[in-house]
Amino acid sequence: MHLKMFVLSASAVALWLAPLSALDKKINWHKAAQGVSLCAGIACAVKAGSIAYKLSADAEIEMIKERAITADVIDEISTSAYVSQQQRQQEAELMLASPGLDVEASRKSLEAIYDNDLQDSVSASDNPDYLVYVEVCKSREAGKSVTWIVENVLKMGGRKFADGKAKLETLLQQFEGEQK
Amino acid sequence: MKAMYLVNYFVAGCIASSLLGWIASLHPMAMRAIAFLLAAVAVAWVMCWLLDFSLSQTLKISVPQLQALLVSVLAVLLIGLGVFLCT
Repeated sequence: MHLKMFVLSASAVALWLAPLSALDKKINWHKAAQGVSLCAGIACAVKAGSIAYKLSADAEIEMIKERAITADVIDEISTSAYVSQQQRQQEAELMLASPGLDVEASRKSLEAIYDNDLQDSVSASDNPDYLVYVEVCKSREAGKSVTWIVENVLKMGGRKFADGKAKLETLLQQFEGEQK
Repeated sequence: MKAMYLVNYFVAGCIASSLLGWIASLHPMAMRAIAFLLAAVAVAWVMCWLLDFSLSQTLKISVPQLQALLVSVLAVLLIGLGVFLCT
């Protein structure tokens, strides 16, 4: 295409200048030859111009394509770099955050366990019968009988013995159930 | 490549103006007709220079582009007719 354009351009210039300067004016047909060569020269120049225009448009399109591809590649590279940086940052944050989360979770669970125990102990110690229960436990560990416990710890001997025995069973059920 | 495209059309214009000279050389009446045509072109060229701002808006090109076009038209006519007359 380039060669054709250059040949046509050179032909146009040759067809323009050669008959005007080189052709002998004494020849009868020199006017006709000049006219024909000038018309041919115009045709060659116009054709070469249209080819050059097409080539320049193609070159412009190629340049735009190259620019678009370059911009696309740059965009792709920057996007991947950004994504990998984000991923690395997230991983780093996770790595930094995960031990803290474990500690926090452990702390919370321990706190919850401690609170429950504390509530249990508070609720038991707040109860006025708890001291009696502690005394009952000590007496049982010492090998004292139920009758001795009812009469000496609960102070419910004689007529109140049956009530005392029922109270002892109630105490034992209450505090031993809570301990379980 | 854009330069080649402009040069080729410039050469085509030069050859066309040489062709005008050739037509003028064929017959005295043709010469008068060509002289009239050239006079009309000259008047139009001067008018274009005077009305360059409004013409640039009408043709939707910038004023420097219009001025370059006018100068190149003058150059084409001068070169083409000069080459024909000098040979």
